Amino acid sequence: MNDIDIELICVRKTYGNNLVVNDINLAIPKGEFVSLLGPSGCGKTTTLNMIAGFQEPTGGEIRIRGRNQAGVPPEKRNIGLVFQNYALFPHMTVAENVGFGLKMKGTPRAEIEQTVRTALKSVHLEGLEARYPKELSGGQQQRTALARAIAPRPSVLLLDEPLSNLDLKLREAMRVELKEIQQQLGMTFVYVTHDQEEAMAMSDRVVVMSGGVITQEDKPEHIYNAPRTSFVADFIGKSNIFAVSLRPAADDRQEIVINGSSIALAIAADQPKVATAKFCCIRPEDVRVVGNDVSAKDANVLDGTICKTVNLGAHLDLWIAVDRDIMIKALVRSSRSNQLKVGNPVSISIAPAAIRLLAE
Amino acid sequence: MTIVATDSPAAPARRAFTLRGYVPLFPPFAVLLLFFAVPIGMMIGISVQDPKTSQFSMASYQRFLTDGLIIAGLFRTILMSGLVAICVTVMAYPVAYFLARSTSRWRAVVFALAIAPELAGVVLRTYGWLIILEDRGFVNDALIWLGFVSSPLPLAKNLFGVVVGLTHVVLPFGILALLTSIQGIDPNIEKAAQILGASRLSVIRHILLPLSIPGIVSSLLISFTMAASAYATPALLGGARFKVLATMIFEQIMFYINWPMAAVMAIVLLVLMLAITFAGGRVETRLHKKLNI
Repeated sequence: MNDIDIELICVRKTYGNNLVVNDINLAIPKGEFVSLLGPSGCGKTTTLNMIAGFQEPTGGEIRIRGRNQAGVPPEKRNIGLVFQNYALFPHMTVAENVGFGLKMKGTPRAEIEQTVRTALKSVHLEGLEARYPKELSGGQQQRTALARAIAPRPSVLLLDEPLSNLDLKLREAMRVELKEIQQQLGMTFVYVTHDQEEAMAMSDRVVVMSGGVITQEDKPEHIYNAPRTSFVADFIGKSNIFAVSLRPAADDRQEIVINGSSIALAIAADQPKVATAKFCCIRPEDVRVVGNDVSAKDANVLDGTICKTVNLGAHLDLWIAVDRDIMIKALVRSSRSNQLKVGNPVSISIAPAAIRLLAE
Repeated sequence: MTIVATDSPAAPARRAFTLRGYVPLFPPFAVLLLFFAVPIGMMIGISVQDPKTSQFSMASYQRFLTDGLIIAGLFRTILMSGLVAICVTVMAYPVAYFLARSTSRWRAVVFALAIAPELAGVVLRTYGWLIILEDRGFVNDALIWLGFVSSPLPLAKNLFGVVVGLTHVVLPFGILALLTSIQGIDPNIEKAAQILGASRLSVIRHILLPLSIPGIVSSLLISFTMAASAYATPALLGGARFKVLATMIFEQIMFYINWPMAAVMAIVLLVLMLAITFAGGRVETRLHKKLNI
């Protein structure tokens, strides 16, 4: 139990009749980078605020390093927090901002200076000690906020969508850097975001939330490859999701029928058994556009018409109508774009193993 | 007046319809000129007349500077206004903070209660305080009945009574001045300080107070000038002995029919308030720069 940093036990939060967080259970081991991922209103920020101590849970228990935090105010929790809008102290220099936490702890001045220097170095802000927040760029403010949060060496760092105010290039660079800093410090990071790419890129574990409950928690690649529900499949990455029904096929195998159409698809035999499968998920990159030389024996081959193409640079997004109301999205290399014009007939193949059944 | 003077026509070569652009400004200028600049000019004119002969004379200015009673009145005005400014700002701060931060349903009620006193006239409220504070008033009756004192405490007809009454009158303005300033401080900044280990007191000292200095300065300024120019409250709650410039001006006009002396006092009061406002503005700008807000 000693290496569990944060533990949420049946944590619930209601505002009046509004259930925001519904009996969440979560254990975060020391040194793990965990993302709370979900659309706005899913309860992820409320969960973060409860861990920080700004909101008290209505029910359940939050433990930090094994100790129940009920009634413990934020300033006594030894937690770091990076805000979405950074919330830097406008009347203090970068160095004063970063040293604030240590000053509050009564750290000697020389030691504060030393630690501030180290913290600023780790976020590459050396030389900006005397600047005021107003004189910094958005990226520099973000780094200052990060340095301020890590300088007092909290055991846990909470990050509330810290990259969402940066432009794309900087955001992508910061993802890599954040992960590096986290690994260097060996600090537990709890990262709240609605951006699935961010969560996938940095996390050791992704906790997908929706409607106040945890829908799925797993390693990023598992979440992507094996979503448990249609919500997760839809929220994480792109996917084709169809309502389906199961039916037995020849040789003891099973196939699915996409509801409201005549399309039947064979599914892999080793597909985890989902007795009451209601949906299936097919990733666009698993949909292959094939020429006349269909050789994949096991593949489900469908004929369709290209309805829409979107050029993404290296890749091409295709919308292919395979039946009256059934549209399948495919992701192909752009090098083939001259054959793939709107209105052209096309054959696609979907490997049975690429079809995932979802219970809900 | 200076505004009117600096309103020089711009070079027509640069902008063709300069004069037309200023047309909407004429009515307010006219009003200001007629009801502000002209009376002040007349007041200055009266102040340099001899009270008896109406000849040019600086006698009234001379008397102001040499008459101990008048100088005492000036310092009493400064003391009273300063105390009111401090009392108002100290009392308004927690209310303004609550109003700026609260999301509770009581916010609207507190806001209404904070502003409601302004709906009753100053005279009405001042009489209210007189009933509470005078020798046979509510507070003294209660204290005597409870046996805390044997004879009434001097709560009215002195500095204490006037400061209490004026604080009540001016408080809503202090609240509004501070409210605007505190609302401009991002609540996350306080949260950030808190999670970094700052106690409630440290947040106030290191974050809230420095960042709300503009609001504190404007609350002090508004309270000071309102207190210094108030007439009814010091007249009623101050009694015959507690005289400030505002009540002394009234006396000079009504009892002594000494218009030049009244004009000099009014000018001193005006200069005092201009000086305070200017100094406050300077302090604020400098702190603004220093605080980077």
